[in-house]
Amino acid sequence: MSARLSVADVFLQFGGITVLESVSFDVEPSTIFGLVGPNGAGKTSLFNCISGHYKPSAGSVSIDGEDVLPRAPSKLAHIGLARTFQHPALQLHSTVLDNVLLGGHCRLTGGALSWALRPPHIVRQERRIRQQAHETLERLDLDWAAGTMAGELPHALHKRVELCRALLSRPKLLLLDEPAAGLSHSEVEDLIAWLRNLRSEFGLTMIVVEHHMGLISAITDRVAVLNQGRKLMEGTAAEAQRDPRVVEAYLGGEAA
Amino acid sequence: MNRTIFKRRWFRISVIAVLALAAVLAPLELVPYANYQLTMIAVMGVAILGVNIITGYTGQISLGQSAFLGLGAYVTAYGVTEGWPVPLVFLLAAVIPGAVGLLIALPAVRLKGASIAMVTISLPIIADPLAKRLTDITGGSAGITVQWMSAPEWTGLADDQWRYYIVGAIALVFFVLAWNLTRGRIGRAFAIVRDNEAVATSMGISSYKYKVLAFTIASAYGGVAGFLYLAAVQYMSPATLSFIVGINLLAAMIIGGSASIIGSLFGGVFYVFIPVVAGQIDPSHTPIVYGAALLLILFLAPGGVVTLPRVLRRLMGRRTGRQQQPGGGDDQATESSAGKVTS
Ligand SMILES: Nc1ncnc2c1ncn2[C@@H]1O[C@H](COP(=O)(O)OP(=O)(O)OP(=O)(O)O)[C@@H](O)[C@H]1O
Ligand SMILES: [Mg+2]
Repeated sequence: MSARLSVADVFLQFGGITVLESVSFDVEPSTIFGLVGPNGAGKTSLFNCISGHYKPSAGSVSIDGEDVLPRAPSKLAHIGLARTFQHPALQLHSTVLDNVLLGGHCRLTGGALSWALRPPHIVRQERRIRQQAHETLERLDLDWAAGTMAGELPHALHKRVELCRALLSRPKLLLLDEPAAGLSHSEVEDLIAWLRNLRSEFGLTMIVVEHHMGLISAITDRVAVLNQGRKLMEGTAAEAQRDPRVVEAYLGGEAA
Repeated sequence: MNRTIFKRRWFRISVIAVLALAAVLAPLELVPYANYQLTMIAVMGVAILGVNIITGYTGQISLGQSAFLGLGAYVTAYGVTEGWPVPLVFLLAAVIPGAVGLLIALPAVRLKGASIAMVTISLPIIADPLAKRLTDITGGSAGITVQWMSAPEWTGLADDQWRYYIVGAIALVFFVLAWNLTRGRIGRAFAIVRDNEAVATSMGISSYKYKVLAFTIASAYGGVAGFLYLAAVQYMSPATLSFIVGINLLAAMIIGGSASIIGSLFGGVFYVFIPVVAGQIDPSHTPIVYGAALLLILFLAPGGVVTLPRVLRRLMGRRTGRQQQPGGGDDQATESSAGKVTS
């Protein structure tokens, strides 16, 4: 289960402001691609273009050769795209398990009438997806929290619940927006191990937006550096850290 | 801890068994007017359940449920007067309002917040003069009386008892269907459409599609409530589909418990008994009593009557938790400390 992503010449504008300008890159199947850059560079906007939340004014995005831009955004989960959000968006008054179960939506079948009448095949589906939700939580050391209200969890765990929710959809391509934000050193270590396992076990293709350079260096095969909506360079994490343009962009960003 | 869960389950089962028995036996003992009131709770409970599906579960404010209730009641009145078989009439009373709801929802759910509230409140406002004009079907302002749903000879029941059982049984079926629907795949989709449309999209859920679905189901529930209304009251007039009724149904839903199935039943209780309580003071004070009840509930238990036990338990739990500091505490405390050990 892996996918190739191709972003070609994407432009994004809001009013007169250009947020993304001719951004292109390819992500090979079963690789982890890092997306870095100073605040406001356009990383989250780029994710939104891939996931269909924003419509680019020009350019194309394709998953396994299939153009995704003309598709309804809500159809993308069905072709194997999943994402987490920079600001975790959990249902705080629902249990962690119910939050994660949402990720199973695109893998369950049956309309309103079937789910209201609950014939055996629906009951079986629900039982199976609950089982898998527990397994996913277990994989990320979170099964103890299955019955807890999401709002009662410490904030640092919200992103992990979101990750479980995204994983339950069994994605081929996973977009992670700052998964390490707010985590302690040891939690980042755990995250690195989990992401590596996910790749080796399921061949998952991932794109990671992250300011935590340790995580980027540890898990990415390639990175692209964005600055003010433009791609500055693409290469390995080590190359990016050495690149004078990148250093300057970060310093310039800090000064501004 | 296991034992308390076990105990709680048995407690629940026995409470439900006692209530079910009481519900079955009550009409045999009560006076006809009391049976009528209980029947009306079921009728309005179904209408409120519809409001709950679109507003409580899916987050789209609907003030127009009375229009669908009215449509269902008039369809029923027409079918019964024409002598159509009752099961067919029932089907039409659900399907026609459902279809009308679908047609309205297709454009309307694209609107957000206050706009969809305006569209829905306009439905009874339009339906009211329409019902007054179409005198052939509706009997105009004077309304239409339909005598039907009388107790068959073999039952030995009085009409009020028979209607109580019929309406109660149909309402129960629709409560169970709604219970199933709001759990599982569809219920989770409704809830995320209400809470966060961006997340819904990324989970493969089309907010538009699920809003249309919820509105359609809510309208069909309104129609079913209309059928039950005509069974209970034997009379229908435009006053029953006025926009005031629509607003009261929404208020009753919130008082009973938003996004709660049982809450809809409590909502029905409130809907039926607030005018009774108000009437003992002065019938013209019904809206004030309604408003006061709404404020009181929102203040004490913002989630509605159905959350009152939880609110009370939390208050009590806090007190006992303070008394037996380190050892005890409530379930939540044990769970989160267990969490710290594993994480
Ligand atoms: N919906 C929007 N409307 C207008 N401007 C927007 C919108 N979304 C993003 N922008 C603008 O696009 C630019 C890039 O924002 P974006 O959130 O993509 O940056 P980022 O690289 O994710 O930054 P950070 O590291 O802080 O998360 C910002 O200037 C932002 O104000
Ligand atoms: Mg961002």
